[in-house]
Amino acid sequence: MPVIPVDGAEEFANLPVSAAHTRHVAGASIRLHDVSPELVDGIDPLTYEVIRHRLTSITEEMGEALKRMSGSVVVTDCNDFDAAIMDEVGDVVQVGLYNTELAASLDMAVSWTLRERAARPGIGPGDMFLCNDPWVGGGLHQNDVSLFAPLFVDGELFCWTGAVAHQVDLGGVSPGSWSVAATDVFWESIPLPPVKIVEAGEIRDDIEDVYLRRSRVPKLVALDLRAKIGANNVAHERLRALCQKYGADTVKAVMRRAMNDAESRLRAKLTELPDGTWTSVAHQDSARSGDRGIYKIVLTLTKRGDRLTFDFTGTDPQVDGLINCTYAGLRGGIMPVFLTTVCGDIPWAPGGLWRCIDIVSEPGTINNCTFPAGIGKASVASAWATTNVATECISGMLDAHPEHRRRMMSVCCGTWDFALLAGVDQRGAGFVTMICDSMAGGLGARSDADGVDTGGLACIPMGRVADVEMNEFAFPMLYLWRREEADSGGPGRYRGGVGASSCFIPYDSPLGGVHLVVSAPGKALPLAAGLSGGLPAGTQHDVLLRGTAVRAALAGGRLPGSLDDIGGTRELVPSHHETDLGPDDVYFTHWQGGGGYGDPLRRDPAAVAADVAARKVTARAAADVYGVSLGAGGAADLAETELNRAALRRRRAGLDDTETAGG
Amino acid sequence: MYIDDNLDLAADGTVACRHCAAVTGTASDPLGAALVRECAPQEAGPSVRAEASNFADRDVLLRQVFCPGCLVLLQAEIVPADEPSWRTRSLAVTTAREGQ
Repeated sequence: MPVIPVDGAEEFANLPVSAAHTRHVAGASIRLHDVSPELVDGIDPLTYEVIRHRLTSITEEMGEALKRMSGSVVVTDCNDFDAAIMDEVGDVVQVGLYNTELAASLDMAVSWTLRERAARPGIGPGDMFLCNDPWVGGGLHQNDVSLFAPLFVDGELFCWTGAVAHQVDLGGVSPGSWSVAATDVFWESIPLPPVKIVEAGEIRDDIEDVYLRRSRVPKLVALDLRAKIGANNVAHERLRALCQKYGADTVKAVMRRAMNDAESRLRAKLTELPDGTWTSVAHQDSARSGDRGIYKIVLTLTKRGDRLTFDFTGTDPQVDGLINCTYAGLRGGIMPVFLTTVCGDIPWAPGGLWRCIDIVSEPGTINNCTFPAGIGKASVASAWATTNVATECISGMLDAHPEHRRRMMSVCCGTWDFALLAGVDQRGAGFVTMICDSMAGGLGARSDADGVDTGGLACIPMGRVADVEMNEFAFPMLYLWRREEADSGGPGRYRGGVGASSCFIPYDSPLGGVHLVVSAPGKALPLAAGLSGGLPAGTQHDVLLRGTAVRAALAGGRLPGSLDDIGGTRELVPSHHETDLGPDDVYFTHWQGGGGYGDPLRRDPAAVAADVAARKVTARAAADVYGVSLGAGGAADLAETELNRAALRRRRAGLDDTETAGG
Repeated sequence: MYIDDNLDLAADGTVACRHCAAVTGTASDPLGAALVRECAPQEAGPSVRAEASNFADRDVLLRQVFCPGCLVLLQAEIVPADEPSWRTRSLAVTTAREGQ
């Protein structure tokens, strides 16, 4: 069936507007707190730093509160959430260190709410608004449910706090709201624009029922809702105390100053960098199950003086599938890598940082799609690919500066390795969960160091991987292994961090098996590019093994250690797939590492030998890619390596077909 | 001026290899004079696990760009075979120098 255009859908889309515009529209219905520029300029440095750091710690406390109240492993053990403090019009003063991608467009959602809801139904003390509509903002796909809350001080709307977390299921055709056959948004969880779900401090039962009825795991989602309410309440308690101690005007002046400081320091840094343009591309293979296309996001980053322009001209049109993202996703793709590579020494106050950035993007493209495009996978599809291409361009820019190049990084783990299990758990209850093992992705290589092995993800500075035992306790599964995989890091003078693999079986479900949803591109081509001659990381690789004798092996006290050990019939899993795992089936999933930096033939042979000894690189790759010959004791044979490299240098360039001496 | 691990930009706007001084291009096209070779993705090493044809209808290739002098690897990408390379740079600051 073709995707049916929705008349009037263009009105669903929200774009960032100026603070002045938000203030003008909302100001007719609500009193917004403000301070004069003179007060902002006059704040003393000590007070500024004390309060600014307090704001930072409050976002961390919000995260702690969220984790302590949530019952979802995705939140409690994997940190797939974030929190932020915004000023009275939604500009972000401080973003938490958790999943910065999720919080990158909270400002858009708050501004929309002020403009569209201040008059009716109104915004008052104790209210909280829930949103999972990425066309409005607040998150990147429907699973990213944001809850943002106005804080009133002395009758004026002083500021907002917001918490966003990945909910494991909000309905749609497939469990996990990850409808891999989707051609448009109507296959997925239907987005909810901002709605007042907490009014004057009380949850509105009517709204909560509408929200929860869609989920396959409503109790878990209800608990997460309360966790986000708790996070906002903790923040409000701390912010009220801060206002009582220093005065609301002073706290607001610090908020303004933090954003101004972030802006001015970013402008100063940009001025130090050479002007130029850096263009690159990020691909994704497959838009939905059965689709064999490859799609691209093209970015030209232009740096002129103290401004940056991210121009996505050349990006493919939106596609009938679940991989598109909205403008909020595009912003979510840019800001995380911008924070970690450019703003390591600058306050993470995106409200100031965005002032230095222009975005050029055509609506109707895969990272700026229009309703009703499918966006169920937006966060880890086109938003993630936007991060990949932004990483390349930003790092290319930084690489041209003798000092700032030390902050660049090649592309990290090229995509999220999505594996979702659903069914009946070992306690007889229904369950749905995303397995977050690929939080342990490989980080990209740097200009002076290897990428961190299984170090994490660029967009989630505090991402974590749940313990194997925690997953086995919470869900009906049993691991055969979870381990780092050799060669998965992109080769280079500095090697990309290696990724890893997990191999597990359904275990102890009364149904015998579990349902499996797979959504993991990067199989036709690797998605974590290298830089400056560094090679890309490895490809994603998922295999289903059917009809194995693994249970007999376990009963006999033998733990299989490889796919060959497991036996059975192998099925290469496509990028999007949905199936059942039976009691004798095994699922193997191998996610990506980080891209390399610099020519692999310039890598220190001793480092290659150490990598082989540590099983980060195979002997085959040491010879074929790095040209390193290893002696009997495992040390590099420097003389033979020199000969190998000389031959390999010509052979890989196609100048002759001479085999390397050690190959 | 430093461009990356392998390239320098000279005051006259030429870009040269940092290892052998061979010219690879200009400020507006730093790899314009470099050597390009396209081959199967598996030549990138064992990390390319399965044939692209298992998953996509388009051919995929490894495109490598080398210094024409010392053959150091300047850029590598695994991309659809029917796409040109989108990976380019242009340094405006040295474009100005080119006109001097």
